Amino acid sequence: MSWLQALIIGLLYYLSDAPWFFGEGYYCLQRPIVAGFLTGLVMGDPVTGTIIGATINLIYLGHLNVGGSMPSDMAIAGYIGTALALATGVSTEVALAIAVPLGLLGTIWWVGKMTIDSFFVHWADSYAAKGDAKGVILMNWLPSNLMMLVLKLIVAMVILMAGVPLMESFLNVIQGTNILNALNVVGGVLPALGIGLNLRAILKGETLPFLLIGFLLVSYFSVSIVGVALFGLAFSLIYLQLNKKEDASYGG
Amino acid sequence: MAANVENSAVQEEKRMKLTKKDVQKSYWLWQFFSHANYNYERMQGGAFAACMAPIIEKLYPNKEDRVAGLQRHLTFFNTNPNVGTVIHGAVISMEEERANGAEISDEAINAVKTGMMGPFAGIGDALDQGVIIPLIVALGISFGQTGNLFGPLLVLIGIPLALMLIAYNCWMKGYSLGSSAITSMLAGGRMKQIIGAAGILGCTVMGGLIATSVSLKTAIAFNIGDEAFDLQAQLFDAIMPNLLPLAVTLGVYALLRKEKFTSIQIMLGIIVICFVGGLVGIF
Repeated sequence: MSWLQALIIGLLYYLSDAPWFFGEGYYCLQRPIVAGFLTGLVMGDPVTGTIIGATINLIYLGHLNVGGSMPSDMAIAGYIGTALALATGVSTEVALAIAVPLGLLGTIWWVGKMTIDSFFVHWADSYAAKGDAKGVILMNWLPSNLMMLVLKLIVAMVILMAGVPLMESFLNVIQGTNILNALNVVGGVLPALGIGLNLRAILKGETLPFLLIGFLLVSYFSVSIVGVALFGLAFSLIYLQLNKKEDASYGG
Repeated sequence: MAANVENSAVQEEKRMKLTKKDVQKSYWLWQFFSHANYNYERMQGGAFAACMAPIIEKLYPNKEDRVAGLQRHLTFFNTNPNVGTVIHGAVISMEEERANGAEISDEAINAVKTGMMGPFAGIGDALDQGVIIPLIVALGISFGQTGNLFGPLLVLIGIPLALMLIAYNCWMKGYSLGSSAITSMLAGGRMKQIIGAAGILGCTVMGGLIATSVSLKTAIAFNIGDEAFDLQAQLFDAIMPNLLPLAVTLGVYALLRKEKFTSIQIMLGIIVICFVGGLVGIF
């Protein structure tokens, strides 16, 4: 891990919560699958980076940011987690086990940002009192982004530069013990949390059969996820048609 | 009478009309910066004011109205940033009418904003964070886990495309229909049907994902009499493949629904149980 690589990964980590790219950076650059791909590009192995990132992303599949509370910082898990895994050459399951605590650490940063940003909105107040529309626009993005850029760069570079040797010595210690197997088990089960979180938002009595059908299609017939999605699309179209008929009969 | 006609002609001339460009400029300010200064005190309040700023600047030439306009929108605001843009569009049309002398009070504008941000947060979050994003990401993961670079590219392109299509259209719809748009959108059953259909699609894919992405096998084996018995192969796999992943996922879901534990507590629980289980040879 060179300083330049750490710097670029830090910059990407900043972009994952920044308003650039139509504000969509927040929606897609923070996804670990994208983070893994981009980090892989920086470290010279985009394919392995994508595999690691996609696996880390499974935990954050049901990530809901409701009312400004964030359960976990998936961006730090994606960027720093993939970079550490690539630098030390661990398995994807172990990469997942590294990423999780990083994601939890990230929530500290989120609470700090949400608190400090409260001050900047008062700066906007004083521009509004002068009738300065441009000032109100400027205060909405400039101070928060300067702060975020500096803080995120420092956090990412410190963890990356200090983390690689730390992890290497840790991996040396556990080599040959049962701990690697245990970490693999943890990595295998954690995706259940990501799926469970998403199910909390969409699973109800009436959608439970479809969950089972999707599961059975893969378990017994090895249908790909794209195939399952197409089945799901057909089911939802049937649902819409059935509802339309009901509406018409009520109307008539 | 002649004076009257002349008077209305003058008023016509002075009518403050927003162009489509003005409305679009406001939209882009939101699209880029809706969460740039997201904070506990006002949430998206600063961003709401920022996207209204060019509208206010154009509609209210005198300074007093302009100050009042900017301050009116620098209040607490929080909704779904994509579907909730109906509110922004409607508020712009209300501001436009107000600038042209219509009797629209501060309270009326505030009522639309505060009354509707909750319902639209619910609808919008169910749609984008509940279904659209997880669906695109799930497809991306299924490609990405095999090392196919189309996976991350799908997420990079698919999510912005889907969300911006929704946000832009809701914004423009809100503007062209005004505050009545909001009530009609909430009252009609159409929105509920779309969310229901999206939920079915989402659940089907999540079901498949349980089978492909969650893995858990027990390593327990013992002897019954003289016969060796492998719990995983001879019991669980005999009943149904991926039985344990399904049971664990539904168990996590049930725990989450009861709201007795936070997601972080459940995560820590999974780590401890699986780690210990892996160490002693249960898994």
